[in-house]
Amino acid sequence: MAHTKPFDDIILELRNITQRFGGVVALDNVSFNLQRGEIHSIVGENGAGKSTLIKILSGVHTQYEGEMHFHGSPVRFHSPADAKAKGIGTIYQELSIVPSLSVAENLFLGRQPVNKLGIVNWRQMYREAQTYLAELGVQLDVKRPMGSYALGEQQMVEVARVLFSGADVIILDEPTSALSPPEAERLFEFMMRLRAQYKTMIFITHFLEDVMRVSDRITVLKNGQHVTTVPKSEASKSFLIQQMIGGEAETLMASYTIQSDAHAADSHGEIVFETNRLSKSRQFSGVNLSVRAGEVLGVYGFMGAGKTALANCLFGYEQPDAGEIKLQGKPVRIKSSTVARKMGIAYVPNDRKLSIFPGKEVYKNITITYLDRILGQILSKSKEVQVAEEKIKQVGVYPPDPMIDIAHLSGGNQQKAILAKWLVKTPQVLILNEPTRGMDVGAKDDVLQLVRQFKQQGMAIVLISSEPEIVLGNSDRIVVMSKGQVTQTVGNVDLTKEQLMQWA
Amino acid sequence: MEKYGHWLKARMRFVAPFLTLTILVVFFSFASEGGRFFTGINLLNILQQAAALAIMATGVTYVLLTAEIDLSIASMATMAGVFASYLLVRGTPGLLAVLIALGAAIVLGLISGSITTYFGLPSFMTTLGMMQVADGLAIYLTKGRPFFDVPEITLTLGGGYLGPVPWIIIIAAVVLLIGHLVLAYTRFGRYIYMVGGNSEAAELSGVNTKLIRTLALAIGGGTAGLAGLINTGRIGSAHAGGFEGMLLDAIAAVVLGGTSLFGGEGGIPNTIIGLLIFGVLKNGLNLIDLDIYLKTFVTGAVLLIALIINVYSLKLGESAEYSEEESAAA
Repeated sequence: MAHTKPFDDIILELRNITQRFGGVVALDNVSFNLQRGEIHSIVGENGAGKSTLIKILSGVHTQYEGEMHFHGSPVRFHSPADAKAKGIGTIYQELSIVPSLSVAENLFLGRQPVNKLGIVNWRQMYREAQTYLAELGVQLDVKRPMGSYALGEQQMVEVARVLFSGADVIILDEPTSALSPPEAERLFEFMMRLRAQYKTMIFITHFLEDVMRVSDRITVLKNGQHVTTVPKSEASKSFLIQQMIGGEAETLMASYTIQSDAHAADSHGEIVFETNRLSKSRQFSGVNLSVRAGEVLGVYGFMGAGKTALANCLFGYEQPDAGEIKLQGKPVRIKSSTVARKMGIAYVPNDRKLSIFPGKEVYKNITITYLDRILGQILSKSKEVQVAEEKIKQVGVYPPDPMIDIAHLSGGNQQKAILAKWLVKTPQVLILNEPTRGMDVGAKDDVLQLVRQFKQQGMAIVLISSEPEIVLGNSDRIVVMSKGQVTQTVGNVDLTKEQLMQWA
Repeated sequence: MEKYGHWLKARMRFVAPFLTLTILVVFFSFASEGGRFFTGINLLNILQQAAALAIMATGVTYVLLTAEIDLSIASMATMAGVFASYLLVRGTPGLLAVLIALGAAIVLGLISGSITTYFGLPSFMTTLGMMQVADGLAIYLTKGRPFFDVPEITLTLGGGYLGPVPWIIIIAAVVLLIGHLVLAYTRFGRYIYMVGGNSEAAELSGVNTKLIRTLALAIGGGTAGLAGLINTGRIGSAHAGGFEGMLLDAIAAVVLGGTSLFGGEGGIPNTIIGLLIFGVLKNGLNLIDLDIYLKTFVTGAVLLIALIINVYSLKLGESAEYSEEESAAA
């Protein structure tokens, strides 16, 4: 894969870009250039500024400081449509294809060839679509509906469409996170074919192997700042991780070893909850994990690692295809969330929209889970409010008023109320999916403090997070998932963020 | 301002329909020829006309609160009335015939509900299918000819009196009352509201949302069947396609009362107001000097205006609440 083509043809350049949101600086004086015909990867942790950069390039953010040069002249996009019209095409994780329409129609969406009467010329459309895809090396039946193809193929059509609409630069935002390894491989081959045709691509991903697989150059961002841009030949996975987390590695480790007192006291109870080769197609496969009473099992992995599907299966919200779940040593089939609840399994989903009932009082949000335990068939407001007040006090919801609409609480307090609803009857197993997402530092601490309390009470806790700090700081053992597979199960002793990210 | 915003939002869903009703009553009281509108006899008349619809609307309220819809209610009503007569003609005792017919409507509702929840079809589609099924049953049972034999008990309940009060009003009142008590004071009622408020959150809280939604549709079927049986008694005959108009009337009455089509908000008190708006409008337009051929048009126009007022006042309530939050934050 030696590239001999000239790399001096700069198609796009950012000069000293700074993006502020209120007092927060999301991008700090970042400069960056893109050469024609290269695949340029941008890597960094959550919050490093990757998505802000993409949003500037694709015309979503328009109020930034600094300059952008495109084809050698200064530009400032006014809107996403403007960026697209000028030749920057962005492909997001959420594809914009129409599954019920044919491949050809998707390719030509909104621009179908028509005759004088305004009637679509189907034959011409099919022929041109076929030719165009063949040029890009994509072999598909253009008459078949898009939805009948796998996600990987749909993505290729989407890339083809963006190219076809005249894009000079294509931004691929996390394109592989939902793809199976062979599908991802096909996408990479496709990307390299495009590169051979001097198409320019920006590749955003969490997966450093993928970065090493396809990039010509790699730019690392950290805390909104440009750290380095290196040719692939000078980079390695561990080098990139070091650049991404910087000098923090040492200090972080120190702070975590203090916090996780857990492994010092090795006196955990029996195994309460375990899975044996649990699999769900396209999501995760062969997952083995176990949690003891009074233990926190951290599950770490990037978005798209299959963590949420796994959590949903553990709670009976989705059904696994194969494998076994054991509760207290006995194999169980959790065929619905109602069954899970009755077994004493509690679940806090990754999105608060999936947990709260907006427009309903806090007390109703708390009592809903174990309403059948609080009262009989007839409601009693005083009983409900009493239970809710007790739980509100226990978790520290502020303001401690059971009568207000839950939508009026802050995110952190909503999350506390969501935890409270599972405490009416102490659960055996507590599954937390990204429990601190989108919260400020204080609220995060409060929630994690509660998790420690629950552990003391002897709950078996599965703590799922894509933030290494959360997992490192609060788990006794850690399972690392990558692309649906468990890649590592280790005790949380002297682990570093760097190691976790290596395994993910 | 503090308390005012909350108070307004909580009650807007009720206040706006109530205002509409008041305006209509006042208007017709003055506009009707010789003040015929606001008389004891006429008011009783309104209740009597609205009674069968009220029974049906009770079940519709449950269905809408869970964010589902039932398009088969009018056909279920027809089917139940026809089925009871069919059984009666073949020698089944009247009361038993009525109970079997009512049971059939509940079973059809259960089927709609099960198909909707277990196959994940929208209830709009399932009940559209069920509408044809129920209509088809009625056509098959009547073979196109009306039954003039209807069970004695439906004649009594549909057209008879208990003292000075028509039975049909008593039945409607009892159904509405039970409907309200169950929604407002039982665990099942709470589940209805919570499932309608956020179905995913309810399921992720371990609530059996499929069961709740299925039962709501079964209740919708049951009240539709009951409404059909009693209405058959009121008319004195049963024939296929008899109650087609009730479908939109029942849904319109519930929505007019302020119950949300998107679930989770509203209730029987709202439905009662909606029914009264509907009843007053239909009755009142007969009593004023209006071209008879214009009546349907005017009804539609007034309903549209009333719905706009509902939605607008809800937004008003929300913005009042919002400004309250802002002033609290400041």
